[in-house]
Amino acid sequence: MTTLDTASAPKPGTTPRASVVTAKRETDWSNALLNAYLVIFFAYMFLPLIFMVIAAFNASPTPSVTDWQGFTLRWFQELPYDERFVQGLFNSILIAFGVIAIAIPLGLSGALILTRLQSGASTFLYTVLVSPILMPGIVLGVTTMIFWRDFFNVQAGLFTAMVAQACFIASYCMLLFMARLQRQDRVLEEAALDLGASPVMVFRRITLPFLMPTIVTGSVIAFLQSIENYNTTFFAIGGSYTLVTEIGSRMRFGLSPMINAIGVIFVFITVAGAVTYVLMQRRRDRKAKG
Amino acid sequence: MTSLIKSYGKGLTGLFVGLTAIWIVLMILVPTLRMVDRAFIYEDRGGEVAMLALEIDRLYTEKFSLEQELLVLDAAETPSTDSVGVPSVGVPSVGAGLPSPSLTPSPSAAPSPPVPSVGVPSVGVPSPGAGGTPRDRTALEGRIATLEGRIATLEAQETDGSEIKGVETSYSLRNFTDMSAIHVEIFLMTLLYALCVTLLCFVVCYPVAYAAASMPTAEKLTLMMVGLVIPYAINELLRIFSWVMILEKQGILNWVFDAVGLIDFEAGEGIRFVASNGAVFTVMVYAYILFMVFPIYNTIDTLDRNQIEAARDLGASTWRIHFRVVIPHAKPGIAVGSIMTFMLSAGSIAVPEIVGRGLHPDWFSQLIYRRFFEADSWYEGSAYSLALLVACVIFILANMAIFKVGIRDIAK
Repeated sequence: MTTLDTASAPKPGTTPRASVVTAKRETDWSNALLNAYLVIFFAYMFLPLIFMVIAAFNASPTPSVTDWQGFTLRWFQELPYDERFVQGLFNSILIAFGVIAIAIPLGLSGALILTRLQSGASTFLYTVLVSPILMPGIVLGVTTMIFWRDFFNVQAGLFTAMVAQACFIASYCMLLFMARLQRQDRVLEEAALDLGASPVMVFRRITLPFLMPTIVTGSVIAFLQSIENYNTTFFAIGGSYTLVTEIGSRMRFGLSPMINAIGVIFVFITVAGAVTYVLMQRRRDRKAKG
Repeated sequence: MTSLIKSYGKGLTGLFVGLTAIWIVLMILVPTLRMVDRAFIYEDRGGEVAMLALEIDRLYTEKFSLEQELLVLDAAETPSTDSVGVPSVGVPSVGAGLPSPSLTPSPSAAPSPPVPSVGVPSVGVPSPGAGGTPRDRTALEGRIATLEGRIATLEAQETDGSEIKGVETSYSLRNFTDMSAIHVEIFLMTLLYALCVTLLCFVVCYPVAYAAASMPTAEKLTLMMVGLVIPYAINELLRIFSWVMILEKQGILNWVFDAVGLIDFEAGEGIRFVASNGAVFTVMVYAYILFMVFPIYNTIDTLDRNQIEAARDLGASTWRIHFRVVIPHAKPGIAVGSIMTFMLSAGSIAVPEIVGRGLHPDWFSQLIYRRFFEADSWYEGSAYSLALLVACVIFILANMAIFKVGIRDIAK
């Protein structure tokens, strides 16, 4: 009892032990608060998504959770017959592959130059090369659209959308490559050169294999970013459409459970992807340990 | 540069430099400069060409009213001359067809030539028996003919003008100075809202990022990361969509209000949340919050936990630990998170377009869209997007100054 008293009201003359108890109490209390906060936060993050998933299986023609008209898979079955969704998905994938093909070489070149450049120009170059990430997406879409129409008379369409996306996705790839290159041991390259290997050979046999994991993750990230992108694409795509811009224009005219169905598919792919990633990570950790 | 040539040879180095140059010139610098260029070009829409179009419109209207007079004249004549109802029915029907091409003044001169050929016979049908006022009729017909002549010449001028001379343009600041008061207000409100979204996101995210960084076991951390990544990886539009379902007039929130008894659903009551800027604000916080969590988490994660322990042992309160130890360490992360969140919300077009669906006041990004695709004024559109870009650059610079971080710390 006495310890409790001193703990709750620490006086200047209290023993060190008592102050430790106070500190411990305070952390317990703030931990409980933090946990409660986390519960609320995750509810806030996930409840809307859960509503969306539930509504996808509701027979009601307007997506709703409150007005339950029976379980149905109709909205999923209708998806493959919706020409614009299918075409949009095809366009999205087409653009995404184009973006990978552009962004990976550009990002790699930028990263190689920046990691080797020692002069003061490097900060300036760096600023220019990361600026597409820091620019609002719509501005990037606008500039690309204007540029290609004014100088090459190319109307906004799938091509301009691809270029606009590739511009900022290349910056992301560059950052990934730079992170990897900073951990590179340059001794191998130098040794190979000393032993008479040609520079092309050094790049092909040493640098590229070293960068391979990043090329893979970079491609995956580029693909996802490209499929996801709305703001930039919306401005640069003109009369054409991707899956996401098609979803966007449908939403503006009203809600349809078919969008919920697409949402469920997205959620499913994301969750499956996340779980596989975690499991793979676990297995790798276990291998590393055992 | 020499070290690059030394490792990869001239050929490969040339390739790298070339690719980077293409990226910078064709994809970043020149497009941006072209937009800046366009932003300062003023397109004179009140000029000659526009006046011409107005004049043509006016002439068409005049011609239409004259033709109407003629029809009235015909209608007044026909019953007196012909007892047969056929022409009286026939003439107006031809007459009704006549004004429609003249009502819609199309820029091409094509519709105007056939007009007299249709007009003359239709007038000619009752004329054999006409005893009324032939002088008025000829006068009217004459005036219509002269009008048609003028319209034809003006339209010829217009097509010449738009194809050869183009709309007159000149360098000026007028795209900015002509921005109407409402647009300026929308611009400032958008920035203010974006700033609020950023602040709110930080307040909400900081504890989450801190909790993630101080997770005791790896398992818990993985669980939490998966919990954060899943909503982050789901498409922005779908995240927005899920909230529209909640905020709709027949949505979940109104349903809850109904259950509590605040409103009566059956009577068609319901609050149109989506029509308010508040809805856009709420959804934006939801949509972009995770761009704040990850950068802050990344920096707090590198903080040596012993520093917190030491501060605590020395008697610092929880608040003090955060303000003096954790937040100063997390500065770069906070800067990155703020910049991303601000940039995304100030330039967001998805949230206002989809949540509001035209019901709520415009967001600045929507104005830009309208300038380009509805008003078809690319110069003004460029000026508007330049304004947005400048605002974002200022925000980035301010952030760098406040948090004392360099550009290298920002983009990691």
